[in-house]
Amino acid sequence: MLEIRHLTKVYDDGTVALKDVSFNVPDGEFLVVIGLSGSGKSTLLRCINRLIDPTEGEIIWDGVDLAKLSGEDLRKSRRRIGMIFQHFNLVKRSQVLTNVLSGRLGYTSTRRSLVGRFSKEDKDKAWAALKRLGIEDQALKRADELSGGQQQRVGVARALMQEPEMILADEPVASLDPVLAHSILQYLEMLNQEDKLTVICSLHYLDLVQRYATRVIGLRDGEIVYQGSREDIRAMTDEEFKEIYGEEAERVGSGLEGALQAEEGGVA
Amino acid sequence: MNDKLKLSHTAEDIRKPSWVPAPIAALLSFIIPGLGQILARSIRRGILLIVSYATIAGLMVWRFILAAPRDEGVVDIVKKGWHLDSSLIVITILFVLLHLWVAYDAYQLAKHRDRTPVSVFFIILVVFFALGWQIGQINIINMVTQADEALPALGRIAWPWIKAIEYDEDEIRAYADIEVPCPEDHDPPPINEVGSEPVIVTDLTCGILREQDGTQGTMLHVEGYNFIPDVEANVMWEDPIGNEFRQRQEGAYVVVSPDADGYFEVDIEMPYRLLPPSATEPTYIWGLFVQQVAAVGDAHLSKDFKLVVEKMIETIFIGMMATFFGVIFALPVSFFAARNLMSASPITLVIYYLVRGVLNIIRSIEPLIWAIIAVIVVGLGPFAGILALVFHSIAALGKLYSEAIESIDPGPIEAIQATGANWVQVVIYAVIPQIIPPFVSFTIYRWDINIRMSTIIGFVGGGGIGFLLAQYIRLLDYRSAGMAVWFIAITVAILDYVSAEIRARFV
Repeated sequence: MLEIRHLTKVYDDGTVALKDVSFNVPDGEFLVVIGLSGSGKSTLLRCINRLIDPTEGEIIWDGVDLAKLSGEDLRKSRRRIGMIFQHFNLVKRSQVLTNVLSGRLGYTSTRRSLVGRFSKEDKDKAWAALKRLGIEDQALKRADELSGGQQQRVGVARALMQEPEMILADEPVASLDPVLAHSILQYLEMLNQEDKLTVICSLHYLDLVQRYATRVIGLRDGEIVYQGSREDIRAMTDEEFKEIYGEEAERVGSGLEGALQAEEGGVA
Repeated sequence: MNDKLKLSHTAEDIRKPSWVPAPIAALLSFIIPGLGQILARSIRRGILLIVSYATIAGLMVWRFILAAPRDEGVVDIVKKGWHLDSSLIVITILFVLLHLWVAYDAYQLAKHRDRTPVSVFFIILVVFFALGWQIGQINIINMVTQADEALPALGRIAWPWIKAIEYDEDEIRAYADIEVPCPEDHDPPPINEVGSEPVIVTDLTCGILREQDGTQGTMLHVEGYNFIPDVEANVMWEDPIGNEFRQRQEGAYVVVSPDADGYFEVDIEMPYRLLPPSATEPTYIWGLFVQQVAAVGDAHLSKDFKLVVEKMIETIFIGMMATFFGVIFALPVSFFAARNLMSASPITLVIYYLVRGVLNIIRSIEPLIWAIIAVIVVGLGPFAGILALVFHSIAALGKLYSEAIESIDPGPIEAIQATGANWVQVVIYAVIPQIIPPFVSFTIYRWDINIRMSTIIGFVGGGGIGFLLAQYIRLLDYRSAGMAVWFIAITVAILDYVSAEIRARFV
């Protein structure tokens, strides 16, 4: 159970990114955060694993307040939280395998990582993760030789290496086309359902939200403006969505749906 | 009044009438160019014309005085200037035209407030162009007519390889003694046996020298045997005190060409030679000899070729050492010059600006200037060249490296942090992989530049092939200079290719 209480973030330049945000995420939930660019989605996700230090508030996960952690304790908590990024954030010039292995750094001693040696176990894990995501034949290429969809799968594999209990996905499909978007989200859904990981994911498109979310919160200007269950969101019309979300919300072309249904069976 | 600088008028200006009638404006501008325009309410234009006119006038005075520095009085100076440099005549004509045109311009401006003639500025440009031609001493005719004088030198530079090989030389000499003057008890000439060695035989074995007043010396008939066929030989003398000199006849040195059998014959007049007052003996023996220089043995690389190769190697190493030290010092410096690392606090920001400033100053001074300074400190030679290039490399690499650091993608850093990695791990896995490729690339690029620079730095005493090249050029030894140029070109071409290849792999 993750409990966010009265979370506030004010940046140095005075921008208020989050205003007294509170919500709970039960374990195993697929929570989708929606909201316009600049509404505070990224800040919220980054506060949870403390890439950004919140100004005020508590982030209680399994009874520990992440907001108060520092040093070794913080790193130990971080390694249980995988993170996936909009721009994949791979080290482009490094090998795919190295990028995946870097997910194990939280478990590797500084000395070992200085010489760049990972244990046999870690390497096996990395190959297994790549296999699970269907990109084991790309393992020895440079990360920037891969297509966007493949790069994001490397990002997912890297997160998997942490053996996480929770995954934060910051607009994981915003740089991908709709087909790839579904394919990446299906991996996340698989992790959510098979591995029972909690997923907190920010998304832009209503049909993706309706398809994958088990719960939704809507942010606008750093405040929660909407909370809804799976049923609420599935019943929602475009007009209602736009009302919460703002005028810029879009639906991914519905013509693709059929093709995706077919592909879905193969992946899941 | 308009407060923006402009040459043309806006709609508002056009409606304002001139303060003075057109003929008055023209007259005023004829007296003080630009004044008429000002009073016609085109103030900016008037000021611009005054400044342009004054500048042109000042430059003209300077060029005329420079052309006729010893003359006094305007008329004399102008006459002399015209006489010595015809381009000054052109400039004078243009200047007069400009003067009149400024007056005409004022007239037009005052009369037609809705028009903005621009031709006056065109004339100003033409005058400046003519002045530039004169100041730059541009001489196209010279360039074309004297181009052929450069051809022999260019030819030698373009294909210098005759100088790359040389042969050992062997010197052949055959002597015949001539007694001067003929003694009273002179015997008839002995018949020399012609063996297999080179030998010369003269019809007389004594005679008298030519006198300074033109009295002819004795004519000798010289025959030579067993010389190397078809190789020219010099006819020379050795006087009684051992000085050697070449036989001259009718203004030219006497040179003989032995035929296929090694035989030649030549008639010579005994030369004029001043004897010292101490020469009191009744007769002296003068040595007549024929000298032939011939190449023997196989061809081998010449001394100059070897020197060029040695200096080329030295040059490459100057570039290498300069790059090495440049990198060593630039690495730490670059971190202080990276804004993203130094913007954390005001103190580090001050350091950043200081380091950046110093790097910019060092970089703005050419390596050649640094070499001159280094030569003063450590003397002539490769070390001075290395020092000069090190300075410039630190500044250039420091800037390039710091920009590479500034441009690293924060994304991977964030991602690696999110895995629970500590600071050292973040640096190793997210920062270093991002900066190594540009660093390697910039370093090779710099090495490339340094080797190219080190070929030049020798011109001011920084060692390497430039030093040699400068010497050869000054000695007019264009073949050796040509070899140096060829080696520089080959090395730079190879280096260009290699560095491009290596860099392509890293970027």
